[in-house]
Amino acid sequence: MSATCNENTFSRIFKEHVSALRNFLYYKFGDYEQAEDKTQEAFIKLWQNCKDVPIEKAKSFLYTVAKNSSLNEIAHQKIVLEYQKTSNPISRTNENPEFILEQEQFHEKLMNAINNINETQRVAFLMNRIDGKKYHEIADELGISVKAVEKRIHLALIEIKKEIKNFR
Amino acid sequence: MEEDYKLAKWLNNELSENELDELKKDADYELLENIKNQSTLLKTKSFNEEKMLAKILAAKKESKVVSLNATNWIFRVAASLALVAGLLFTFYQFNTETIIASEKMAILLPDQSEVILNKNASIEYNSLFWNFNRKLELNGEAYFKVQKGEKFQVKTSNGTVSVLGTQFNVKTEKNIFEVVCYEGKVKVETKNNTNILTKGMAIALENNKIKESTTLLTEPKWNNTNFVVEFSNTSFKDIIEKIEKTYDVTIQTNFETHQSFTGKIPTDNLNVALQIVASTYHLQIQTKNSTEYELIVP
Repeated sequence: MSATCNENTFSRIFKEHVSALRNFLYYKFGDYEQAEDKTQEAFIKLWQNCKDVPIEKAKSFLYTVAKNSSLNEIAHQKIVLEYQKTSNPISRTNENPEFILEQEQFHEKLMNAINNINETQRVAFLMNRIDGKKYHEIADELGISVKAVEKRIHLALIEIKKEIKNFR
Repeated sequence: MEEDYKLAKWLNNELSENELDELKKDADYELLENIKNQSTLLKTKSFNEEKMLAKILAAKKESKVVSLNATNWIFRVAASLALVAGLLFTFYQFNTETIIASEKMAILLPDQSEVILNKNASIEYNSLFWNFNRKLELNGEAYFKVQKGEKFQVKTSNGTVSVLGTQFNVKTEKNIFEVVCYEGKVKVETKNNTNILTKGMAIALENNKIKESTTLLTEPKWNNTNFVVEFSNTSFKDIIEKIEKTYDVTIQTNFETHQSFTGKIPTDNLNVALQIVASTYHLQIQTKNSTEYELIVP
């Protein structure tokens, strides 16, 4: 029997990939509920087909299912992202109000820019910035070459820069 | 002409010093830096992973429902037998052990037989029934030291290996199936063949053809406990690749050379491995993080 059908093994695979997969779908749709639903669907498919999917193929299976499930979906919604809390509370209280305001304004411009760029560029860019994925990992998960990933990230930066400069 | 996506390389800290200086001259450089730094701080909303996992596990294919036509006693007997079988099955399932080796590891089975799993190999067996039926499933590569006793079976997707007290190595991957017998006797059954191997004999299955060979080793090379790999006239590029693969790290370097390497590199000490290569080629090691290194010409 395939090891994927073992509950402990499957749980391990789940914990390893669920967060990045949910995020990937969120970057595409901008809708948390849909992203969670599609993530759950993908894992259920893996669980139901566990005997035909060996462990080493599980990740590729999940991403393939997730990508294909997005075909008939509602139009892209706006993505909303927050900043992580800085780990050093002392440094925050030392920041002057002007700096904080500037940061908030920049955040607004940045989010607006991220939402306005091309979907493929956005997804690759956020997979790198938020999930910390290396270019070859992104290439693997999206089924494209590393060069193609570099192109998307390069263009994303150019477009984001343009959008921020043109803001308001 | 191949496109060079400079900004992607810049974002990944891959630009050379010259290229970086050039970029810094750009009027928009500060904006780019802001984008880089602020985007690193972004995060998505968290969600209840445990709850999702529970829902997923519960969504197994629904079992067939047999509708009982009340008066027929045969149905009732069948139903209770099914219930007993179901319980036994569940009981069996609870004692299934699955072991996946992220790096070489040794496992002792309930009868004191030993299995040494190579990196990324996995086995599955039932601990409760082991002493009645020594049967396990293998994916990857493992070396077995079997205690004398009743049948011991190793099932793989490519074939089954059965033995009496003995020592042997099985390697199974999608299209590869290799069995080497180091001691005793094993029987190897594949789709179209059955082979008996004794000490020193080996077979490999390639494209459904069986190839026989012999070995003078007393245990598989990969089980070498010295944790050292020997290189002879190996190119600099290949050494770097081997270290990257062995330790699962990335090593950047712009250094190129035709000078080949002969010597030993440890497989259990990354720092020493890097030091050896760095001193051989007069390079400096830069550590970016625990999985990223760079070798530069000082």
